[in-house]
Amino acid sequence: MAVQEKLVIMVTHGPEEPELATIPFAMAGAAVASDVDVVMGFQGEGCLLVKKGVAETVAAPEFAPLGGLLESIVELGGKLLVCSPCVKSRGLSEDDLVEGTEIVAAARFVAEVTSATNSLVY
Amino acid sequence: MTETHIETTQELDARGLLCPMPVIKTSKAMKTLEPGQVLKLLATDRGSIADIPAWTESTGNELLDWHDEGEFLVFYVRKGQET
Repeated sequence: MAVQEKLVIMVTHGPEEPELATIPFAMAGAAVASDVDVVMGFQGEGCLLVKKGVAETVAAPEFAPLGGLLESIVELGGKLLVCSPCVKSRGLSEDDLVEGTEIVAAARFVAEVTSATNSLVY
Repeated sequence: MTETHIETTQELDARGLLCPMPVIKTSKAMKTLEPGQVLKLLATDRGSIADIPAWTESTGNELLDWHDEGEFLVFYVRKGQET
């Protein structure tokens, strides 16, 4: 039986860098569409992308808009994890985040990455 | 112009959608088909020329044929047994 592929994608750029914010979502979208398990990890400015209402405002030329990508990724089973200190330092709480987003800390990210078949960092 | 006669079960119009939405929409549509059934996909994203064959190969589906209509691309994807 083939090993289930799992891809972890770390996102460290936010709305201030629309292309670098969008590319990880494009990769995640293609991965969930290819039946790969996907975990997206948001750190630094990247955590702003899972703040409610923000993804819908980000679009990079020639890429699908980020809002629709996020929706599709979640619909196809992608998981969203966000860094606890990064969220707190920006004055955000769980209620401010896209539904289903899990607030985690470093050890959980390490566990996700070490159990993945591949990981990408943006 | 290539004339292709392939019996299709469903048509997906992904024209105007940008990377990677054609692949995402194709994946969703294929989940509604039975093995052996064929999806006809229309797309304008030129990246689909590389993406759809890569996607079919990695997911166990089969790209039966594709051609360029000029204004858009047409792909015929047959659902595999184990998808």
